[in-house]
Amino acid sequence: MTITHHPSDATLAAFASGTLDEARSLVVATHLSLCAECRKAVRAFEHLGGELLDELTPTSMSAGALERAMAQLGQPEMILPVPLDSRVENFPAPLAQYDLGSWRWIGRGVQWRPVAVSSAENCRVFMLKAAPGTRLPRHRHTGTEWTCVFEGAFRHDLGRYGPGDFDEADESVEHNPVVEDGVPCICLVALQGGIELQGWMGRLLQPLIRI
Amino acid sequence: MHDDEKAVTEQNPADWIIAIAARRDRTAFAALFAFYAPRIKTMLMRTGASADVGEDIAQESLLTVWRKAAYFDPKRASAAAWIYTIARNLRIDLLRNHKRAKLYALQETVEIEEPERPDTALSSAERAERVRAALSQIPEDQVRVLQLSFFEGRAHGEIAEKLDLPLGTVKSRLRLAMSRLRHLLGDLS
Repeated sequence: MTITHHPSDATLAAFASGTLDEARSLVVATHLSLCAECRKAVRAFEHLGGELLDELTPTSMSAGALERAMAQLGQPEMILPVPLDSRVENFPAPLAQYDLGSWRWIGRGVQWRPVAVSSAENCRVFMLKAAPGTRLPRHRHTGTEWTCVFEGAFRHDLGRYGPGDFDEADESVEHNPVVEDGVPCICLVALQGGIELQGWMGRLLQPLIRI
Repeated sequence: MHDDEKAVTEQNPADWIIAIAARRDRTAFAALFAFYAPRIKTMLMRTGASADVGEDIAQESLLTVWRKAAYFDPKRASAAAWIYTIARNLRIDLLRNHKRAKLYALQETVEIEEPERPDTALSSAERAERVRAALSQIPEDQVRVLQLSFFEGRAHGEIAEKLDLPLGTVKSRLRLAMSRLRHLLGDLS
């Protein structure tokens, strides 16, 4: 798998520091499960977090804090084998923690499947499956739209997005993605805010607005 | 660094975690607690938590260190980075309302085993040293913006307001600091 489009450094840092919302974290985690380079970057940011922690000015704990902690010291855990490759229906591991709805048609050649992310604020997470050659209507966003491709590929003004690629679109982007010929394109999307459709083809995406 | 903690920091916190794993060393636990609990409390308070919540997360973080000490692998992470991720994960769980166990598991994606490269692997001390060196090469004003953004999760507009800087300056400093760090940390794995 050759991945050409990655999350920005700011996004990887926000993921590493836990300040990114859950919906977008899920799309980033999905990319990470496929991209060793970005896993490396996140680990580097975690080391940065460790160094910054060491440098912080301490705030005194309340009286007796250590004694209370000591009183709670029980048995340390034994190491249990961790299933490293738990996959659900051949989708990347991070999705395995979430309930997936069933696939539904939302337009010609396009199916949609909701992903239940409980703490999503003003953000919807779903999978899209688009038939080869599908042309999505030109649209722009009122918020961010982050996408990670699992299978197949699509193209838009900024390049080709194949398996593992991460597309970080914000309100400045206006695009009309076209699915490549060959296999259907399956991807995971976190959509914040809404979509503004351009042109009559927008009717195709209309159901998405109601998601 | 603070003088009163010198004795603590002159030893290697990684050794204490290993001592806990090997023989449930309560002295080692007390040393880790003395250094990290007050800093985790500060970290939580910087992100907007109350002193009580900061104290709870600090307590729980150190108890987690005790329970999970056997999982600590000094070849993969420095003690600081490992403890940082524990506190971060507890904070994520807190923010997400405990509606589901282990939501921070998303962050565990990075724990996927990488192929062994023994000849090039850095020790945790080398890795920590490299991060420290990288940080020291970044100008102070960029580090401040980096801290507020990365560590405290503040939006660019909020940082601009807090530091009384134009938004564009905040964004460019952050971009500079990030690319600098990425470059300096490039080989870190």
